[in-house]
Amino acid sequence: MVSRRGFLKSGGLALLGVGLLGGIPGFLAEAAASEKIFSPYKKKKTLVCIFQRGAMDGLMAVTPFTDDYLKTARPNLFMSAAKSGTGTPLIDLDGRFGLHPAMKAFEPVFREKRLGIVHGIGSPNNTRSHFDAQDYMESGTPFSKGTSSGWLNRAVGLLGHDALTPFTAVSMTSAMPRSFYGDNPSVAISNLQDFTIQMRGNPTGANMAAKSFEDLYDQTASGLLKQTGKESFEAMKMLQKTDVKNYTPANGAVYPNSALGNSLKQIAQLIKMDVGLEVAFAESNGWDTHFNQGTENGIFARNVADLSSSMMALWTDLGTYQDDVTVMTMTEFGRTVHQNGTGGTDHGRASCNFILGNDVNGGLIYGDVKPLAIENLEDGRDLAVTTDFRSVFSSVADKHLAINNDHILFPDWKGDRVNVMRG
Amino acid sequence: MKKAVKYWCGFVLLLCVFTVFTAFLPGYSAYSDLKFPYKKAGLTSEQAAAHLLSRFTYGATPGEVEEVVKVGPEKWFAAQLDAQMPDDSLNQFLDKYDALKLSNTEVVAQYPKGGQVLRMAVKDGVVNKDSVKTDRKAYRDQLQNYMQQNGLKPEQELLRQFINQKILRAAYSNNQLQEVMTSFWFNHFNVSVVKNDCSQFIPAYERDVIRPNALGKFNDLLLATAKSPAMLYYLDNFSSSGNNDNMQAGNGQARRRLALQMQNTDTARFANMPKLNKAKKTQGLNENYAREVMELHTLGVDGGYTQQDVTQAAKVLTGWSVYPMEAYGNAGQKLMNRIGDDKLQSRGFIHEGDFLFNPNKHDNGEKTVLGHQFAAGGGYDEGVQLLTMLAHQQATAKFISKKLATRFVSDNPPQTLIDKMARTFINKDGDIKQVLITMVDAPEFWSAAAVREKTKSPFELAIGSVRALHADVNQPYQLFNWINKMGEKIYYYQAPTGFPDKGQYWINTGALLNRMNFGLALASGRIPGVKVDLAALNNHHEPESAQAALTIYSKLILPGRPLDETIKRLTPMLNDPKLMEKVDEASAKTPVATMAPESSNEMMDQQTGLKGKRKNNFTAMQSTAGNNSMLAQVVGVIIGSPEYQRR
Repeated sequence: MVSRRGFLKSGGLALLGVGLLGGIPGFLAEAAASEKIFSPYKKKKTLVCIFQRGAMDGLMAVTPFTDDYLKTARPNLFMSAAKSGTGTPLIDLDGRFGLHPAMKAFEPVFREKRLGIVHGIGSPNNTRSHFDAQDYMESGTPFSKGTSSGWLNRAVGLLGHDALTPFTAVSMTSAMPRSFYGDNPSVAISNLQDFTIQMRGNPTGANMAAKSFEDLYDQTASGLLKQTGKESFEAMKMLQKTDVKNYTPANGAVYPNSALGNSLKQIAQLIKMDVGLEVAFAESNGWDTHFNQGTENGIFARNVADLSSSMMALWTDLGTYQDDVTVMTMTEFGRTVHQNGTGGTDHGRASCNFILGNDVNGGLIYGDVKPLAIENLEDGRDLAVTTDFRSVFSSVADKHLAINNDHILFPDWKGDRVNVMRG
Repeated sequence: MKKAVKYWCGFVLLLCVFTVFTAFLPGYSAYSDLKFPYKKAGLTSEQAAAHLLSRFTYGATPGEVEEVVKVGPEKWFAAQLDAQMPDDSLNQFLDKYDALKLSNTEVVAQYPKGGQVLRMAVKDGVVNKDSVKTDRKAYRDQLQNYMQQNGLKPEQELLRQFINQKILRAAYSNNQLQEVMTSFWFNHFNVSVVKNDCSQFIPAYERDVIRPNALGKFNDLLLATAKSPAMLYYLDNFSSSGNNDNMQAGNGQARRRLALQMQNTDTARFANMPKLNKAKKTQGLNENYAREVMELHTLGVDGGYTQQDVTQAAKVLTGWSVYPMEAYGNAGQKLMNRIGDDKLQSRGFIHEGDFLFNPNKHDNGEKTVLGHQFAAGGGYDEGVQLLTMLAHQQATAKFISKKLATRFVSDNPPQTLIDKMARTFINKDGDIKQVLITMVDAPEFWSAAAVREKTKSPFELAIGSVRALHADVNQPYQLFNWINKMGEKIYYYQAPTGFPDKGQYWINTGALLNRMNFGLALASGRIPGVKVDLAALNNHHEPESAQAALTIYSKLILPGRPLDETIKRLTPMLNDPKLMEKVDEASAKTPVATMAPESSNEMMDQQTGLKGKRKNNFTAMQSTAGNNSMLAQVVGVIIGSPEYQRR
């Protein structure tokens, strides 16, 4: 196995070839002189979070197909696991729950026990507003609007070391997501190619400008600008090592040509470049299926196909890096048990989420989904929230990133963890 | 005696004339005794003017520092406080944004949200709800036709006009302080486009609630925000209702029917789809606004209130709601109109513009907030009393003063200054102008710990550059995209805290590179619809050398700053003649953005994205007249330089 240390060193030398910026950049020179700066990379793990905005219908993604109440409540949306019926059957996971057929990409990792599912997950705050529910889930404080930081930003602060590189926490979004709000260093960027000094069609000008900027920032009296300037140019050079634009995924991985696929592809690049990525964030949109959500085909099927294929492309692409990565999905709430009058479902309460990784105690469906008789439904209409999202997020953060300071990660929360991870 | 009367009358007349006369000299009389202590702090008049402009405008325009020196910083500031400078050409330009003159009711009728349009179209039988399955394009076309036929426009167009006008005001208004304060208070009383329920009401929120009160009394501002649809929806108070035990008894059926209708109205407004109307709506107390009004708007998180106070305040504010305004099939509104304001009033309703106090949702019991008792049956008035009380607390005076000082002095303003400002806040009944005067009048404002100590936000950087270069902005939305890229998506900040006001928040690696790229793009004319004429800035005198260009333009763009270091660092690069040649050569071959026409096309451009656009709008051409590529490079580097990131 190529040691990361060796890789970094050779990367440093390769930078000389870039030349225009002159000499070995400060960061790498420092790195070469100091062993300790390498060591954090070696053991660090990456948590990739995917927010499914709009509220995924957990009952369609992972259907309790033996539940006749559901069948009755969804005459046009219910899908069966029976192979004899018309259409593609659900993928029977455990005799009770069936995976949507468009998520067939997930089946192998579930069988290999790398993919865990939590059903009945949600927030204790019963708001059915997308905005409020996302806000609460991302801040990690379901009853407090004024929390200035997001839970993933707090996670960065709890990693037990300073952010070692500009890429410790990266959100592949154009604007900083609520989850990343806060004082700990984090970056939002929608395209890694933007991480450079640009003058379209004028590389000479761009290089000269870059040199001027680097010089100016190196000499400025403002500590903040000087430090961040240094990091910016280091980040730029780190990315220049690789041809970001013409990246070829490994192991024949094929990313869907979608926003999520593109984000995860870039996250894979960062992970494989060993630039110190520990917390990554991506978004998936279009889950608010009030209208004709479809069954084996249609909007919902397209969405879950994109989600599962994107995640699996990342997984395949990661290859030997798989041990270091856990991917977790989240969505603000679920949808009504009953289908509505327009072939869709409305805002509900609990949904389900997916956790993928070699540390995951997978192949199981966690949580408590009672028969969907009206007396078991929340407010007489929705799949009840039986697992607080924080009990899963905290477990993943602890076992994967060794963050066990729950009262900082999720202030005001005193519940028990649901241990979805091994060990 | 007669004579005495005559003299007396003459004196009164003279007094009147004098008063009338001075009334036309904005500010000069009211603040004529001001004398800012900048000399004691060791600043020259030029440096003082530059500092003042860096704090109370979006950046100095060429020659503005000299102007302020000439007028005198005190007089300039007084005029800015009065905010009566003519803005005719700006207003003329803004006139073309027709959506910005609409009332909230008109906005709802003309710029409905996607979900509302769909609901209407389905109801009218125009859109076949099954078509989405088979043919998405046909379905979209159907909806688009429906919108056109009914004169409906997409909400995104409303927001585009709104964002454009903010950028233009910030760049071109002569009443810069008012605009800066508008941004300050908007951020303080933040609402977000991200929250679908309130986004439509945000343009009117800034126009009618924030801007007119930005230099007024804090209490008025607080009350106006509390009663605005944007805030009522953003922090959910519209839905908050009291405990039924405390509901007013009696007056029977009519009230119950109305209460029922009103509930349905709320539900209908938020249901994306008809089915949800039948859903059980969670009724009861919502504490969100009550908590944030104390934590973020007035007392501050350490302001000494308890959870009990929050709950009690929430009860005081139950029934503070929005007058139904969705025109289409709104039973609640029809009923309200039929009853009429007079009758509503006799039943305890208060209808003021978009605001509605609904007594049927109000908790009528006794409450205590911060030790202040509200007797049972206080109705609407107790809410006003509560907010007035909050506006006048010591904690509020300190909290607001600190926030102002953080915005205008430094990220960590001295406590001595905060205390002075807080005293004025209390003594002058929360008069924002007076608090600002106290701040500028204090030595702390002019100290070395304040000058150039703030980091420009991306918005300030972009607008400041536009002002410094006298750029001609025809497509403001292009600047919005850059500002977003640099990390400040204005009006989209999700949390009620508003954007943090500190350098560390703005300066991170990705954002910093984008700032540099912004400088290069702007100076070299590569931002479509934003035209710069660098030669004109120097009266078309072409600098003799790159070195000369650096010296001249640094002074133009960074007036009143020590520039030796910047110039020294950049000089070697500029003295490499080969490099210069290469840049010119490369630049000559480089496509430059031509002006894309400003029109509704801009909207289309946004939708089709850059890909389609590049093909159309970039043609290979020489650098635009006067913008010598070397000069553009120099100016771009100055704008991206660390010195220019500070103010």
